[in-house]
Order: sequence, then structure tokens, then C-alpha cells
Amino acid sequence: MLNRDRQQQFVALMAERGWDLLVFYADAWRKDQFRCLVNVSFQGPQAVAILSRTGEVRAIVTHPWDLEPVAAAVNGKTVLAVQLTDGLDELLSKERAAVVAINGLEHMEARYVQVVHDALRVTPVSATLDVEEIRRVKTPQEIAWVKQAAELADRGYEQFVKVCQPGMTEFELVAEVEAFVKANGAEDNFMLVASGGTEVTGMKPPTQRKFKPGDSVTTELTPQVNGYYAQICRTLVIGEPTPKQQQAYAIFSAAQQAAQDLLRPGVDISDVARVQNDVFRKHGFGEYTGPQYTRVRGHNLGLYPDEFPHVLENVHYIVKPDMVVIAHPNTYLPLSGYMVFGDTLLVTRTGCESLNKTEKKLFHS
Amino acid sequence: MKRGLITWDRAELPAAAFAARLSALDQLCADFDVPAIVAYSDVCRSNDVRYISNFMPYWNRALTIVPRGEKPILLCALSPRVYPWIQSVTIHETILPSPNLPARLAKLCEERGWSKVGMIDLAGLPYDLYTQLVTGNLTFVDIPRGAFRPAATDAEIAMHRHGAQLARSLLEAELTRSAIGLTDHELTGRIERRLRRAGAEDVVVLISDGRSAPLPARGTKVNENSSASVALEYNGHWVKLSRNTDNVTSTLPPREASQQVHRELLSGRYAWEGLTARDNSKNVITSIQVMIERGENRLYYGDSGVQGPDGWQLL
Repeated sequence: MLNRDRQQQFVALMAERGWDLLVFYADAWRKDQFRCLVNVSFQGPQAVAILSRTGEVRAIVTHPWDLEPVAAAVNGKTVLAVQLTDGLDELLSKERAAVVAINGLEHMEARYVQVVHDALRVTPVSATLDVEEIRRVKTPQEIAWVKQAAELADRGYEQFVKVCQPGMTEFELVAEVEAFVKANGAEDNFMLVASGGTEVTGMKPPTQRKFKPGDSVTTELTPQVNGYYAQICRTLVIGEPTPKQQQAYAIFSAAQQAAQDLLRPGVDISDVARVQNDVFRKHGFGEYTGPQYTRVRGHNLGLYPDEFPHVLENVHYIVKPDMVVIAHPNTYLPLSGYMVFGDTLLVTRTGCESLNKTEKKLFHS
Repeated sequence: MKRGLITWDRAELPAAAFAARLSALDQLCADFDVPAIVAYSDVCRSNDVRYISNFMPYWNRALTIVPRGEKPILLCALSPRVYPWIQSVTIHETILPSPNLPARLAKLCEERGWSKVGMIDLAGLPYDLYTQLVTGNLTFVDIPRGAFRPAATDAEIAMHRHGAQLARSLLEAELTRSAIGLTDHELTGRIERRLRRAGAEDVVVLISDGRSAPLPARGTKVNENSSASVALEYNGHWVKLSRNTDNVTSTLPPREASQQVHRELLSGRYAWEGLTARDNSKNVITSIQVMIERGENRLYYGDSGVQGPDGWQLL
């Protein structure tokens, strides 16, 4: 489907910036850069949408199976070009655009940028940051989809707890959870796991490691519904948690709650990171909030599971209503090894609402 | 991102296979008069680097540098906390933390005294990397993919074949008339569960209800005209197959000109991409997907094989 709210916003952006054409380029990794206007999960290696100042949308697809759904969504000219260069040339060579901007320019293969340049005889400018800024604040329809994804994340984690058992491998657990969320409506899923004890310093794709009693099994579970991701982070201990694991969990829980208590419109996102890190500092674990042990204290969510802004003390961004942010103080602690805990938060007019309903606790099997 | 099993089975792909590939890259360095060759990779463009070192950038971009006569060096923005895992599934011994890939590459070249290096498919670089690299002090020599990837070896074909056999037996078991009445989401979940538990690295399932091309599940019911397309990655090697509930088949490649056919390259820059005539000049892994019209419905049948100058052979 065409995201008509975004279409209007992007046309207004074009007028403001003086752009004649706005091109949305996406490959199979960053489909979000196309789907923010044309919300179709294309299957070819690339897809392109071209928005004119009048709001007309045309598209190029690189796989025949994408032709019908994209054409139906844009209700305008849609070209199938197995080689994207041919499609760009066909749609752009007759254009008379003085200024062309590309959302996803940074990600676009240099050869395709050259084709755009040769067809229009102008050097395209990047629209990526402007489009990202618009995308950060979700429309009512987008919020509805994120809520569906969050509900599925909760059910997916319930399945995670149900099936996780000693002797099972990490990749078998992921297979079970992946199958569950797909069977229940997820279009895709971003998922990292880790298992073990204090030797575990981070998460990665699943391995053949088998779960043992006493393991911490961590996951970031991130189902996608109609293009939009929501995430849940929880830690499960196989067997009874040790006092140190419980002590670690209490720190993570307090840090996440501090972020949730602070997050509201007008707050600098750096402070959302700082209040989480302060909890670790208060307990003498401040060094474990740095890049040696952790990546981010959360991030924006939407059509991409790791949108900007990242929640970090050195990233400054004033939070707006209807942003969707996960706050997760995930890091390594010597008490427990790597531990994760986080919920998807919708920024409201006065604060934030957790979209996850899963109990906030250290799970154990 | 990748969330299946990423591994390196040394029995199916011995270290000697990588040594032979590196030796061929040494020769390319000599042919193009460069001291090193660089390859770009990201989540959806991993085939080339997988070939060099078995590295899969499951969630980021990376550059792999193969200095002449040395093992490859990995520049990646992933956290050093995952380096032990990367080293366990690749031939990489040296991994350099590189939040800024062009800057780190420039520093490495400066340290080594290199003023020019080869870059596989230079114009295929993402534009931000391309502009930063070509406007710097280094000279980049374009190494065409055709020069870099020879015909698929027996070991590569065997891994594609293993993936094809997994997908084929799974589809034949799941996509029968007993699947009629399931939702496309439920069928997708069943297929994913079995393939991922069997060790698939990545799986993409598309379902047609007979009225559309295969698409991501959208809540329709599986019926007697439904088809399922499965793209499966096994240890870095892709295959794509389609079957239908009514077990309608086609010869591959199809003999009837009226049937609509889509041919894809599975060993190219992307996981799959449209096949061009020039790709047929050597043995490459391809898929053929056929749309079969039946009344107002469309059924799909397809499989993967080796395409060479002398024709196409089923994996």
C-alpha cells in the first residue's frame, strides 16, 4: 500500500527543499527506504520509487513477482527491469528535473547514482536524513502496526520460555520462536541470542551450543508486522537463578525503569541513556556502560529495527510525541555475563507507554 | 539480519579450498598489478566475501582485504565482543575494529605503503563508501567479478545441492493437499521451523493462493491452486524452489514458449538477481521459476541448478 500520510509529508518536504524529484532507493537489506512510501515487501534485489512534486508516484521493480503488488500500491507507472540501470534510464531519461534528491543515496550502488546523473544531468543530493526525521514520528496507522508487533513479541517470548530447555541448541530455539512468530503473522523477525555464564560478553547469531542448567539465555526478539518492528529483551535462566544473577537483574530492571520514567516529549535522548547508566554507576559498574561492553542503551524503532537516534549519552536529540523507542540497558556484568532487559515504549503527550505486556522479571525454566 | 545457523563445516569446505581461492587472488593481484584486493560485503551482499573467507556480515557492512601472499584481513564495524565467534566460523585471524571503513582502509594502506589496491566491482560499492574512497589518496583498480569468481567448484555445488535437497524434501512433505485450509502464515511457520532446525542459515518463504505471484504471507488460506516458493541459504550457498499443492510440474528449463519463466543467478552479488546472458559463460548456480496458467489460476514450479555454456542441470 501507499503510505498516503507520508506521501503528503514528502511532497511538502520537496517543496520546502526545492527538490523536483524525490527517489526512494532500497535493496534487500534496507527495504525500509522504499517502504516508507510504498509499503510492499519486495523480493527483488532492489526497488525504487520516484515521487514528483505533484505527488505522482512511479516505481521500478527488479523481480517479476514484485510487479503486481507494487503497481497496485502506487497506482502509477511501474516498470519491471531485471537490471536496475535499465529501469532508472527508462523512467528518468525523459525527466527535466533541476534538483533530484535520493532517500538511501548513501546505500545506493555508485553505478546507479551514475545512471541517475547521466539521465538527468544533475548530481543528486541526499534526502536520507530529512526522510528519517519525518519517519521518526509515527502515524496513527504505523502505531497500530507497531502495537500488533509488540503484542506478537510478547507471545513470541512466551513461546521462547515454553520451549527453551537443557540440551536444546541455540539455533533450534531460534527456529522454534521464528516459526511461532511467522505462523502468527510476523512478516520478518530480527533476533539475537546468547547463552552461558560470565564468559558471555555479547549476542550474535545462534550457534550449535547446547543449553545447560545455570545458563543465562538472552534474546532480543523483534517481530515485524506490516513492515513495522517492535522489540522485547528478556533474560531466562535455566534452573534457579543464582544470587548474583538476581543481583544483576535488579540493576538492569532499575535502569530500564529509570529510562521509562524519564522518556517523554522534550527530553534529550542522551538523558535517557544517562539515567540508565547512572544506575550501573551507583552500583559500582559504571565501566560496563561503555563501548567495550555494550553498544547502545536503546534505539528508535519503525520500518528498520535499529533506527536513529541511538540512545547514547553522546547523542543529542529531543524526543517527540509518537516516537517509538526501545530502552534496553543490555550489557556485560561480571555478576552474570551479558544480560538483556528492555521494552518497546511509545512516547505519548505526557510520558511513555510500554507496548510490551510481558512480566518484568528474570525468567527461569 | 541472519538468525539461522552460520557455521563453517570443515568437512564440506576444507581449509585447502580457501587456500586455493587465496592463491587465485594472489594471481589476480599480479595480473592487475596491485598489492592487495578488497571486497565489500553487507547483509544482502555477502556471497563474494563468503567465498574468500566464509565471513557473513550478519548485521553490518565490512571490507575484506586480501594482501598478496597473506591471509585476509577483516575490517568491520561489529563489536570486538563478537570477534571470537567470527574467528570460529571463518579463516580470519586478523580483525580490525572499523567504525569508519574508508578511514580504516586508508590507514591500513598507509601503514603498508600501498598507493593503489584492487576493488572487486568498484562501481557496486555503496555511494557513501565509493565517494569517500575514490576522493582519497588511494587509487582503486576495478576488479570485475568475472575475473574474481571462476566457475563453481565441486565443493560449492555440493553445498548448493545439499540446500536444494533439504528444500525439495521439505516442500514435498509440507506442500500437499493436506496443507489446504492452513493460513499462509501457518504454512510459512511450518516450513521455517523445519528448515531452520535442519541448519538453514536463512529462509525466505513466499506463498501464492493461485491469484497472485508468490508473496510474503498475508493471511490468505492455502487452497488447491496454492504454490510456495522457498529460498534457502545453507552455509552461505543459496537455492530457490517452488512447488504447488496440486503437484503440477514443468520440465526445467521449460520447453513450452507460452510459460512465463524467471531465471535468477544465485551466486552473484546479491542472494538472487536476474540472470543476464553474460552470466551463462561459465558454470553458475541459478534458479528457474515457471508460472503455469491453469484456468484463471497460476501455479508455480521451479528449482535450482547449474547453468553453463552447455545447458542447465538440476542440483
